[in-house]
Amino acid sequence: MRLSTVLRFVGPSAGLMLLLLALPLAVTFYLSVRNCAVQIETVTVTESSPFGTKEVVTQRAVLGPDGRPVTTCRFVGLEYFRKVLGVDTQGSTSPDASGSSAATNHASTEFQGALRFTLLYTFVTTPFVLLLGFALALGVNHVAQRWRPLYISASLLPFIITPVVGALAIKWLFRDNGLVPYFLSQFGVSLFWMAQAWSARLLIILYGIWHVVPFAFIVLYAGLQSVPQDSLEAARIDGANAWQRLIYVTLPHLAPLFIFITLIHLMDAYRVFEPVVVLTRGAFTTSVQYLTYYILLQEINPYKASAAAVLTTAGISVLLIPLLVRTWREHRRTG
Amino acid sequence: MTSSRKLSSLVIHLLLLLWLVLACLPIVWTAIISLRQYVDAFSVPVKWLAPVTFENYTRLWVDKAFYRNFYNTAIVTVGTVSVSLTVGCLAGYALSRYRGAWGFWLLITALVFRSLPHSTLLPSFYVMFDALGVRNEYFTLILVLVAINQPFTIWMLRSFFVNIPQELDEAALVDGCTRFQAFRRVIIPVMWPGVVTTGLFSFLLAYNDFLLSSSLVNAERMTMPAAIANAISADSEAFLMQGVAGAVSITIPLIILVLVFQRQIVSGLTQGAVKG
Repeated sequence: MRLSTVLRFVGPSAGLMLLLLALPLAVTFYLSVRNCAVQIETVTVTESSPFGTKEVVTQRAVLGPDGRPVTTCRFVGLEYFRKVLGVDTQGSTSPDASGSSAATNHASTEFQGALRFTLLYTFVTTPFVLLLGFALALGVNHVAQRWRPLYISASLLPFIITPVVGALAIKWLFRDNGLVPYFLSQFGVSLFWMAQAWSARLLIILYGIWHVVPFAFIVLYAGLQSVPQDSLEAARIDGANAWQRLIYVTLPHLAPLFIFITLIHLMDAYRVFEPVVVLTRGAFTTSVQYLTYYILLQEINPYKASAAAVLTTAGISVLLIPLLVRTWREHRRTG
Repeated sequence: MTSSRKLSSLVIHLLLLLWLVLACLPIVWTAIISLRQYVDAFSVPVKWLAPVTFENYTRLWVDKAFYRNFYNTAIVTVGTVSVSLTVGCLAGYALSRYRGAWGFWLLITALVFRSLPHSTLLPSFYVMFDALGVRNEYFTLILVLVAINQPFTIWMLRSFFVNIPQELDEAALVDGCTRFQAFRRVIIPVMWPGVVTTGLFSFLLAYNDFLLSSSLVNAERMTMPAAIANAISADSEAFLMQGVAGAVSITIPLIILVLVFQRQIVSGLTQGAVKG
């Protein structure tokens, strides 16, 4: 296929990605070092009231010739990065676009806290997802053929369910007077799940495992169908027991799938968002994606949100660079 | 030997049943309490049986006009799936037939964008769409969802197209078709299974999206998941129960989807894995 034809076919797709992924990403980088604010002037006005006339010093927005407030934009360097990272100790000197400096001190705007939980979530859920998914795949592979569609269908449900709805369903299950607290209270455990940080975090992690295990299960189950039966047979004849066959024949065959699941889950876990919104409302814990969303929608400050977004991008880059280097090497090797 | 094998088989069945219960319990229990009044839904001790009422559903769908959110979801998902597949098929086909370095780099770049958390684009979307005056439009949300979905779509479609022998295009070209005619008349008809599978995943992305819908459009154009998020902050009992009914309403189409398209979803999930 000629390159010019390829370009014509790929054009619409590449154009869309360029306009709505690459360009916005570049704009985010640009916005993160800028700030636009309504220009404020200090004026002395004469106020007349029934109690006499006096001069009052007040602040008001500068109005342009069209009668609308004048907005000035300027380069602020790393100011918002310092704020998001919480190293801004000298206090803000430039006006916040939102004007809400109180919100800046809110604990949920700390990038480190958000990153810490995002990484905790990522690295705690990954082994559970792999192990439970593999156990399920082995289990379903073991039962009679007629039962398998039932298990596969039922397992797909937590995976394809709308994340907001899934997280809400978990929340309602663990809510005060909900099913799980009632069940636990039968054993003398009394716990308000959404009332402290550790249990709220645990719930988010439980949701994550519940949501992603089916994916690992389906992929590994499909992989098990393609394990060469003659290798298994040969191992059996050579006297390998079931455990040895699993370790020395099945697992090496599935290794690429484990890597695939880990990579996909790494990307998805890094953007954990909905359960954070639903289960804690950011009160006890945040994630990097939640942080940007919160600053943008609650503090209404796209510049500070951009700084958080740039830091988020830097984080995923660090996680992905080893993968990219590996892919590049493989590409060079295979030509 | 046989008795121990029977025992292990029994244990496996029990563990799988336990997973089945854990997997379905949150959804099943939500469905059960959606048919109850608040006092019966959250009570101590838990009520296993309670009077059935459809009040939560009528309040939500009739009084709160949830059908409008359903309509929004329909527009956004249909729009996203059709644009996504049209654009993605063209690109996926070309990338499957082209062996040069450019194709490889486009695919890698797409992969990098697939890993990008979507909220990193939100601040620019706000500023850009406000400047253009196109925020709060269906087509803006649709195009953003298509763009975000594109990396995954072209990867998946390409892996389906690769399986279609090149001889098919060549025969069509020899018979006097242009590239585009060969693509449309010869390749697409044999590609339907792949297109359906990829379309399902595009549908899921658009249908399940919360982040973009809740931030790019106003309340009257929000999709169902974004609208249901109001239940998150609502502590009032009536609101909460409407949220429960809404959650079930959102899930029912997905359950139908699983039952009808189970095979395609499974093949889609394993496609990327097996083909690399």
